[in-house]
This record gives sequence, C-alpha cells and structure tokens, in this order.
Amino acid sequence: MEESWKTYRSEGFFDESMTPRGNPRAAANQAIKFLHSLAPDELASRRVAAELAIKEMGISFTVYTEGGNIDRAWPFDFIPRIITSREWSQLSLGLLQRMRALNCFIDDIYNEQKILADGIVPAEIVLDSNNYLEPCAGVKPAFGVWAHVCGSDIVRDHKGQFFVLEDNLRVPSGVSYMIENREITKRVLPELFENYSILPLDDYPLKLYQTLAALSPRARRRPNIVVLTPGIYNAAYFEHAYLAHGMGAELVEGSDLFVGEDDCVFMRSVDGPTRVDVIYRRINEDFMDPEAFREDSVVGVPGLIRSWKAGRVAIANAPGAGVADDKVIYAFVPDMIQYYLKEKPLVKNVPTYLCMREKDRDYVLSNLDKLVVKPANESGGYGIMVGPHSTKETHKKFARLIEKNPRNYIAQPTLSLSTAPTYVDGSIQPRHLDLRPFILQSKDSWVTPGGLTRVALQKGSLVVNSSQGGGSKDTWIVEGDA
Amino acid sequence: MLSRVAERLYWMSRYLERTEDTARIVSAYNHLIMDLPKGAEPGWDIMVQILDAEPYFHQRFRSVNEQNVLKLLVADDGASCSIPYSIEAARENVRTTRDVLPEETWELVNELSLFVREVAPNSVGRRNRHAFLAEVISRCQTINGLMASTLTRDHAYSFIKVGRLLECADMATRMVDVGAGDIMDRDGSTSAFDPLLWGAMLQALSAGSAYRRQVGPLVDRNAVVNFVFLDTAFPRSVKFCMQGIGQELGRLTNHEEPLRAVGRVWRRLNRLTKEDMTQAELHAFIDDFQQQLNQLHAAIEEAWFRVASA
Repeated sequence: MEESWKTYRSEGFFDESMTPRGNPRAAANQAIKFLHSLAPDELASRRVAAELAIKEMGISFTVYTEGGNIDRAWPFDFIPRIITSREWSQLSLGLLQRMRALNCFIDDIYNEQKILADGIVPAEIVLDSNNYLEPCAGVKPAFGVWAHVCGSDIVRDHKGQFFVLEDNLRVPSGVSYMIENREITKRVLPELFENYSILPLDDYPLKLYQTLAALSPRARRRPNIVVLTPGIYNAAYFEHAYLAHGMGAELVEGSDLFVGEDDCVFMRSVDGPTRVDVIYRRINEDFMDPEAFREDSVVGVPGLIRSWKAGRVAIANAPGAGVADDKVIYAFVPDMIQYYLKEKPLVKNVPTYLCMREKDRDYVLSNLDKLVVKPANESGGYGIMVGPHSTKETHKKFARLIEKNPRNYIAQPTLSLSTAPTYVDGSIQPRHLDLRPFILQSKDSWVTPGGLTRVALQKGSLVVNSSQGGGSKDTWIVEGDA
Repeated sequence: MLSRVAERLYWMSRYLERTEDTARIVSAYNHLIMDLPKGAEPGWDIMVQILDAEPYFHQRFRSVNEQNVLKLLVADDGASCSIPYSIEAARENVRTTRDVLPEETWELVNELSLFVREVAPNSVGRRNRHAFLAEVISRCQTINGLMASTLTRDHAYSFIKVGRLLECADMATRMVDVGAGDIMDRDGSTSAFDPLLWGAMLQALSAGSAYRRQVGPLVDRNAVVNFVFLDTAFPRSVKFCMQGIGQELGRLTNHEEPLRAVGRVWRRLNRLTKEDMTQAELHAFIDDFQQQLNQLHAAIEEAWFRVASA
C-alpha cells in the first residue's frame, strides 16, 4: 500500500476526490480504495504501462523550440478525475446555453448589430478589434451558427463551484487527447471499469461528422467533408489526422484545394477535381485565404472566402467567429445570455476587470500582486502574469504594458483552482487542474460527456498548458452523487 | 483520393523498393567477390553505374574502391540510390499518409529507418555488411507483405503497386544493361567465371532459383536477358511488372494517356527477339526502353498527381 494516501491533504483548495479530512468522496470511493490497495511498486508499474501505451499508440504533440520542432510523448497521469453526472448535467446545460448566446452574438455583429445599438456591448471594442473581419459582414451561415466547435475552459473554485474561464472559438484543440486518455486508462486500470458506469467518449468523431454534415450546401447522403490542416509541422497535426480518420474524411492541406470559376471548392484528387461541401478548418482564419486576409499565407486557398460567401461551401468554424473569442468580449457573455436568450446564465464567469475601464484599471494597477493579468488575444497560456507568483519587476513590466494598451488587458482574481490526487515522483499528491469540454452546434447541439482535464504537474503551479509542462488526466462522468 | 496523397504513396513505394533493390545488389556483389580470384572481379564502380550515381560519387569521393562505394551505398544519406536516403524518403512519405495505410505500416517503416540510421555507419566494412543487408531486405519484405495482405484494394493500393513495379522494372533493366556490358567486355582469359557473374546478377534480381526452375542451371546472356525481360510467371520480370502496372492503371479514371505509355513499353518488349543481339544492339534497346519507362512515369504524374485548377 502506498503510504502517501494517508497523509494526502489539499490544504485550502477543493479536492475533487478527497474530503478535507482525507477520506474519499462518495463517487471516487471505489477508485481510491482500489488504488489504495496497490503496493508502491504496483503503482509504479501502472505508470510505466501508461507510458508504454502512449508510445505504442503514437500519441504525441509538437513543441516549438529554438532548436526546431520536437514530437513529444503526451504527458499523462493515470489516476482518473471523477465528476458525478449530477454535477455534470448542470454544467453541460450551462455550456449549451453559452454556446447559443455566443452564436447569436456573432450573427448579430456581422448583421444587424442590435446589441451594439442597444449599448449592451460597447461598439468600439468589437468593431475596432483585429478579430472583427470586415469581409464577413452580411453573411448568413446555416442555422445562424458561426462557431460550430467550441472548447471552453472550466475551473472549480475552493467551494467546488464551476466557472468558465474562457471560450475558444477559433480552432480549439485537445479533443483527440480526451478520447485517447480514456483508451490509455482502459489499458492501464481495467479493474476500475468493473464497478463504475462511466459515460463513453469515443463517439465524438461521429457527432462532429453529424454537426458538419448538416452544414452541407448540397443535399447529399454523404457530403464531402475535409479537414483542412496547415500541415505536419503544426502542433495539433496528430489531432487533425485523428479526426479525419475518425470521420472517414480527407485530411487536406491548402494546396490540395482550389476554387473553380463557379465559386465551388474542389480538391485535387486522382479522379480529377472533386467538389468539397464542408471544410472543417484547423488553420487560423487570417491564413485561410490570401485573397481576403493575409496575402503572405501559403497554407490557405485563394478564393475560399468568396466561395463561402456565395454559399457554395460551408466552413467550420466560420471565418469571423473569432470576434467572440476575446477576453474582453468574454466579460460580456452573461449579458449576452440575458439579452438574446432572456435566460439567467447557468454557469458563471470568473469576475473580470477590463483595463479599458478607468475604474477597473486603477484597481488592477494597485492590486497587481493579487491578480492574474491576461492579454485579451493570446492563447496557449502565453503572455500571462500570475500576480502572487511574480516578481516586483514583472509587476512593473505589466503595469507599463497595461497603461500603454489598456484595451488589450484584463485581470481576474487569482483562483484557488481545485485539485485531484496525482501520481508524482512515486507518491500521491494534490495537483491543480482545469477542464476543457467541447461543445458542438449546427442543426443540433451537443456537449462531450466530460472533457480534456489538464493538470499542472509542478507543485502549487496553476499553469496547465501542455506546451508549458502540464499533463492530462482521463475525466470520468459517473452515475451518482458527490 | 487526394492527388498529393496518391503521389506520396507512389514515391513511398518506389523508395521502399529501391531500398530493397540496393541492398540486394550490394549483397549479391558481396558474395561474388569472395568467389572470384583477385583481378577477375568487375570493378567496384559497376554498382555505382547500375544505380546511376556516378556524378554524385565523383563529387564525393576521389577514388573508386570498395570502401568508398560501400560508404556511398550503405551509409551516405545524400545519394538518392543509397539505403539511408531511400528509406528516409520512404519514411517521410508514409509519415504524411499513414492514415490511409494499415496501422503498423508507419511503425515498421519508422523502425527500419531508425535501424538504418543507427547500424548503417558500422556496416560498411565486410564484417557486419551481410547481416545489415539481410536485415534491411527482410524488413522491406515484411512491410510489403503487410500491405499485400491487409491493404484494401482501393486507390492507395493501386498507386503503391504501380510505384513498386515501376521501380522494379527500372532496376532490372539497368542491371541487365550494365551487368551484361561488363561481362561481355571482358577478355577471354576470365570467361571461365562468366557463369558466376551471371548467377550473381540473377541473385541481385532475386531471380536465381526462379531461373533455375524455369530455364535450367545453364546461364548465358540471351537466356538471362529473355528471362529477366520476358518471363510471364516470374513476378520481378519486366513483362510481369508491366502487366501489373497496366492492370492497376486501367482501374483508375483518366487512364488513357498512361495506358498508351504502357502500350508503347509493351510493344518494345515484344520486339525483343530471342535471336542473337550484339551487345551494342542490346544496349541501344535498353537505352530506348528506359526512356519509355520515364515517359510512363511522366504520364502517371500528369494524369493523377498534377490535377490543374480547372
């Protein structure tokens, strides 16, 4: 038996599997009891088995470094994170609600702009943003949906309450790792599955297929769907290939596609040009079409936006959807839910200070040591300052950055992220985690049961990004109460 | 199937075949030199000639000797006929097409490439050479066997098969050209060794036992040339390869031009009579034949890999 279970305490934080007194929570009880029964060398061998499975299954991600790109094995902790279906169903309803409101917002922004006229969201923060794409104005995509795939980052505070930290509406990644994590756990801890009924995850590619197929401009039994990737050197290439394979779709690069004289998109295939109905694009919107956006893009398809505007091809996520993926816009999502849906938000936002507002900015500048400051427009955890963990120098640097460009910064209180038992250096220790569920919307909408759990492997660290040393866990939604 | 994917599969297959063929040639020559008295063996550069690597070789090395030729073919990663170069090129092409191939394909090709990278530098010398070459050949065969037994007979299979057969036919013709030239050029004093030389050539084409069963133990030029070019049952004969290519191409759309090119190759094959050809005639024939093969490749490229924006 591994001794560290006895002394396991997550002081000051909400631990998802253990009570403050060091007993397992009801839903986690069976799993913890089983893990508890394993001798230290047995635990170590499960870890080795997990590493071996990852290598054999070829699960990797690419990290950019100065010395070139490295394909790294996926960092994984084999102890699953357990959430009850009761807690989950509430959260998933909240995520669907959010997604609906965000799509209403994007559709409104590129058409009537009612929410700006009514003064709910200040016009300048939307229209002056780099994410607002002028060429998309007036377009009416099917079902009024612009963002078809969203990955929202969820955290739990010291009481265990769920909060949305951000909504990724451009090219959210991680879903393939979510599915693979379950496969690894099945290999490494098969005994655990006997006593639990866990919601399955592996139908995601099917759900994605249905979401995309509903967008096809041509009524066909099997529309031609392609996954558009920037290529093998992209960090998420593994996932692009995984999803294409899972949907039975072609994995294409920009040079495989062209736009014909009739404004239709074709792929260059051995049977000659083949018309494409739906593009699931995994390249950033500014690289999609050198005619419409960045002229220097070599991974895009000239004329793609023209074809999309003419309704000859569907693109998911639609170009322009990124207008709602901005940490300043994020602060207005609860207002959007009220405005468009006339509903109360079911999941909360993390309280957010907008540095563009003078009052908020003054507060932020005098409380830099307590707050997390984030640029409005970065992803991957880059450019973030965690106040309590930063030096005075860094505080000063961020104060200058904020004063120079207040629109580009927001601040949030440092959250006491929840923890879960994690196997580190041969013992069981609490580590902070977050959760990224994926929400799909076109004709119907759907949320993954669970999501990708990312865990900060460094003691006390809150940074969970895999590019910065984070790991991940399998996430179980199980029948029963907490 | 995407043109880009088809093209990569085609090249993957050609390079895989090239890896195996180069290993076979080096291996056969390696056996041969141990049987021949000093001075009777063909020059080391014969392999460089067969593999069409003379310009690169002379750029890279000053003198033609065992060490340098083996360095080029076994351990140099810059020559497009070398084992490291070929397997690396095959690997790069599988890396981006692995989703249309049986799952283990990528793993096996990747492992072979790692093996070559690690072991090749120490396999130039005579001591480790044989084991290394045998391992490379056997792993190539495993990969081909995997694809033959599990790959769905769709476009992917067609392009893989065409790539392999075209490379195989190309290699066989070059080997006969250079090999026959070398043997026929020798003066009478060493003609006692001719059967050994012809035997080595058949071995390099892995045609040794097939030839003996089909034709018999006696080897001479005309019989060998006929067997390598025209035998209809031996799966590495030029005729057999062309038949397979014609079959596969016929299943694809837009096959008119490439099939015409196959037809031209076919007609030339039938012109290869059994009567005595002089060495010069044989050389001219093979030269023209090679050009036809190149045109077939160009026609395939044009029909399926270069789909224009219509």
